[in-house]
Amino acid sequence: MRRNIPLAICLTMGVAMMVQFFVPHPASVAFYDLTTKWVRIVGAFALVLGTGSLVMYHIDKLQRRRTGWYYSIVTLTAAAATSVIGLGWGVKPGSPLQDIIFSNLLVPLNASMFAILAFYMASAAYRAFRARTKEAALLLVAAFVVMLGMVPIGANVPFFWFMVVVNVALLVAGFVTRSKALLIGAGALVVGLLAWLGFSGFKVPPLMLPDTAEWVLSVPNMAAKRAIQFGIALGGIATALKVILGIERGWLGGGKQ
Amino acid sequence: MIPFLILLLTAGQVAPPVDSAAPPVQRLAAPVGVKAFDTPNDKGKSITVHWQPGPGAAPEAWLVERTDPAESTEVIAAIEPTDTRYLDEGVMDRVKYTYRIAAAAGADTVWSEPSQPVASSAQLFNTARLNILIAMVIFFALVIYYIETAKKGKNLFVRRIAGLDAVEEAVGRATEMGRPIIYVPGLGSVADIATIASLNILGEVAKKVAQYDSALLVPNRDPIVYTVAREMVKESYAKAGRPDAFKADSVFFITSEQFAFAAAVDGLMAREKPATNFFLGMFWAESLILAETGAQTGAIQIAGTDSVFQLPFFITACDYTLIGEELYAASAYLSREPLLLGSLKGQDYGKIIILAIVTVGSALLLLSKIPALSFFTQIVSFFSVR
Amino acid sequence: MRFFQYLLKIDRRIIYIVVGLLVMLPLIKPLGLGVNSGPRAQTLFKAIDQVPAGKTILISVDFDPSSMPELYPMLAAVMRHAFAKDLKVLLCGLWITGAGLADKAVTEIPPEFGKKYGEDVVFLGWKAGVDAVILGMGENIKNVYPVDYYGKSLDSLPMMNTVKQLRDIPIMFAISAGTPGYQDWLLYAQSRYGMRVGAGLTAVSAADAYPFLQSGQLTGMLAGMKGGAEYEVLVQKAGYSKTYMPAVAAMDSQSLAHIVIMILVIIGNIAYFVTRKRGA
Repeated sequence: MRRNIPLAICLTMGVAMMVQFFVPHPASVAFYDLTTKWVRIVGAFALVLGTGSLVMYHIDKLQRRRTGWYYSIVTLTAAAATSVIGLGWGVKPGSPLQDIIFSNLLVPLNASMFAILAFYMASAAYRAFRARTKEAALLLVAAFVVMLGMVPIGANVPFFWFMVVVNVALLVAGFVTRSKALLIGAGALVVGLLAWLGFSGFKVPPLMLPDTAEWVLSVPNMAAKRAIQFGIALGGIATALKVILGIERGWLGGGKQ
Repeated sequence: MIPFLILLLTAGQVAPPVDSAAPPVQRLAAPVGVKAFDTPNDKGKSITVHWQPGPGAAPEAWLVERTDPAESTEVIAAIEPTDTRYLDEGVMDRVKYTYRIAAAAGADTVWSEPSQPVASSAQLFNTARLNILIAMVIFFALVIYYIETAKKGKNLFVRRIAGLDAVEEAVGRATEMGRPIIYVPGLGSVADIATIASLNILGEVAKKVAQYDSALLVPNRDPIVYTVAREMVKESYAKAGRPDAFKADSVFFITSEQFAFAAAVDGLMAREKPATNFFLGMFWAESLILAETGAQTGAIQIAGTDSVFQLPFFITACDYTLIGEELYAASAYLSREPLLLGSLKGQDYGKIIILAIVTVGSALLLLSKIPALSFFTQIVSFFSVR
Repeated sequence: MRFFQYLLKIDRRIIYIVVGLLVMLPLIKPLGLGVNSGPRAQTLFKAIDQVPAGKTILISVDFDPSSMPELYPMLAAVMRHAFAKDLKVLLCGLWITGAGLADKAVTEIPPEFGKKYGEDVVFLGWKAGVDAVILGMGENIKNVYPVDYYGKSLDSLPMMNTVKQLRDIPIMFAISAGTPGYQDWLLYAQSRYGMRVGAGLTAVSAADAYPFLQSGQLTGMLAGMKGGAEYEVLVQKAGYSKTYMPAVAAMDSQSLAHIVIMILVIIGNIAYFVTRKRGA
């Protein structure tokens, strides 16, 4: 019984919302609006549960003096202060909640956390971007094209000269590691570049790095993204169907019977 | 006499001299072909009117006039001269209206003939979405067919997914090192498919954690997900025969604010120094912040998300990454439940059908550039979603 | 060999210090690398430039403080362009966290051009429900927003006498850090009411907008901080504004940050190949 009622509600609402998608009648639209309002209302009640969990967790940590218990004092004080200020002085523009807490605390803190990404990208790229395989090497070249093409410093660099530098790097890597594959690849690239130069009348071809970067983003990158998104969409539909039919019951919070 | 008569008769018939410098003056012409019809596939109270420009001077604007059954007439809109279509959403259902369109330029206005009377109504089925309905029926049929096949005991092959194979090893590592496991079920709500998939994996991971007698920490960003995750973990411990080992405060809610949540989880990782991190579910910009901090603590990391923007960050910073639908396949893969495996198979055949349609559609679009084969675009347009 | 093994595992803190210094220094002493405006920024600039004086443009502020460094400069640049051309600016938002940022823009930018709130600029605020809001604005803005963000009735604001619905607005600029965002404006406002839509996006999600640009649904696009810098340069070159250009200043830092990441990757790969070869 404890599981059957939620499963029945899930089946009914799942089928109803699927039917609603195909029916433009005002009654159908009104049903959709009502359902989205209910979702928001239920979510608001759940916030009470979550806040209760937060407070209990930190009070317990304080009482037992577990590692980092002093941070719990900060958390509880901040939560209480924000609630009191919001309830006492309101949330409109000009209120202390807006001016002090939002503009002078939340905005700079959020921006700082986001800014950490710049440093983490540098360390992650340094650690992970190794040309262990041919595919990884190709990915590396594409990454360099996009990184240089998207900033002003690369705005006036012809793609031809970039490939010449890549070619030199391949040759050096081939000689240092004495790898036949790298040397053959470098040789093939030399032939390709010379042919390109020939077709352009022995002048540096006008294709610039930013245009190549945009092509990389809008063609192969977009194709790969769309392929992943096809799979995600189908997986999502299948999972939704399993939830509606009651095959997937993890969301009930206890696995299958 | 006769020459005088001829002169008199022809006097007014001499052609006026032609001034070759002045262009012929074009007058405004009334629009033609005014058609009004009930806007299709809508919720009613809407009539679409379209017309063609008449053979005259270009107007500065089109005026749309509506007449109701009480013969009350009103100009309801002035349209740019480049548009020849108007959507009137100020009508009542089942009331007949007629429309006239005028070409207007300065003080001149030339009206068209009135349209046939038309009434609006709400439609019960959106025919523009018929293609979606057909696709859904085919897909559901495939999934249900393979679920039934799996019920009959047929063995269904699923390829190896490295990230999921590593779950057991990751939990064992945590037990050996005596350090906890952190499981972040994403930042999405329980309405997101990725979160549901993540919670299913949480159940399996919690069972293994209970069996290995390791420690599990599950920080949550969404209050509803927190309640579901807590019940899920408790149930998993009970199934593993270790209900006493479950600690209620191992699953907790932190905050709904995105970067505050990321900061809190980073702090948790820095203090607890977990052996294993799971980042499975829906993530946004904080994905690299979480993954890189975890990498700094030396933890083994298994991530999975359906957000194509965050996948590159997880692939760079984590040891194993479940890409897109591998996350959805995880519950089937880990539990090896026949019903779940069957649905996975149906999903894969659905993808093959999509692949075939994309390939054939691309070829048809290319061929449609040949004038004789231009009708191919109509075939392809059947697949467009409105 | 030990040198290459060290290069393989450079301490993160050194990487962070190097990146931090190279990002900070150009902000203190600009390198003057310059920014060229691309075709997408130029398309948007021309579209807004051609709007007749006295008309209103709509800007939707759909981002939060974390995307502020990337997206706020383009909001400021477009507002400056509009005010310099004597256009009126109507702001709204589909993200609740964007309201404070739009408020900041409305407070700081109009006084530079002697523009007054209520006459030249109005901020409607945030409302829940994406499609209902846009469709409602398409019919009658006052039905969706009876009062503005500051609680003033729209009837009391002179600017709103000439702007009743979306059809009165020739072009809008949707600045989005995710969803809801420009795609919702395209879906509801452009397809239904024929309003031209330009988009301002974070660099990460810019690639997703290319199909809309190619089909002509989007009238121009500003991608990330570079897009903001391109627009700032266009506004300055046209003589509309001479204020400090934060996005342009930041582009020097971004250039150096990209270069240092590339150098680190190259160093890491050299060390990897040398140690692998010698290890073998």
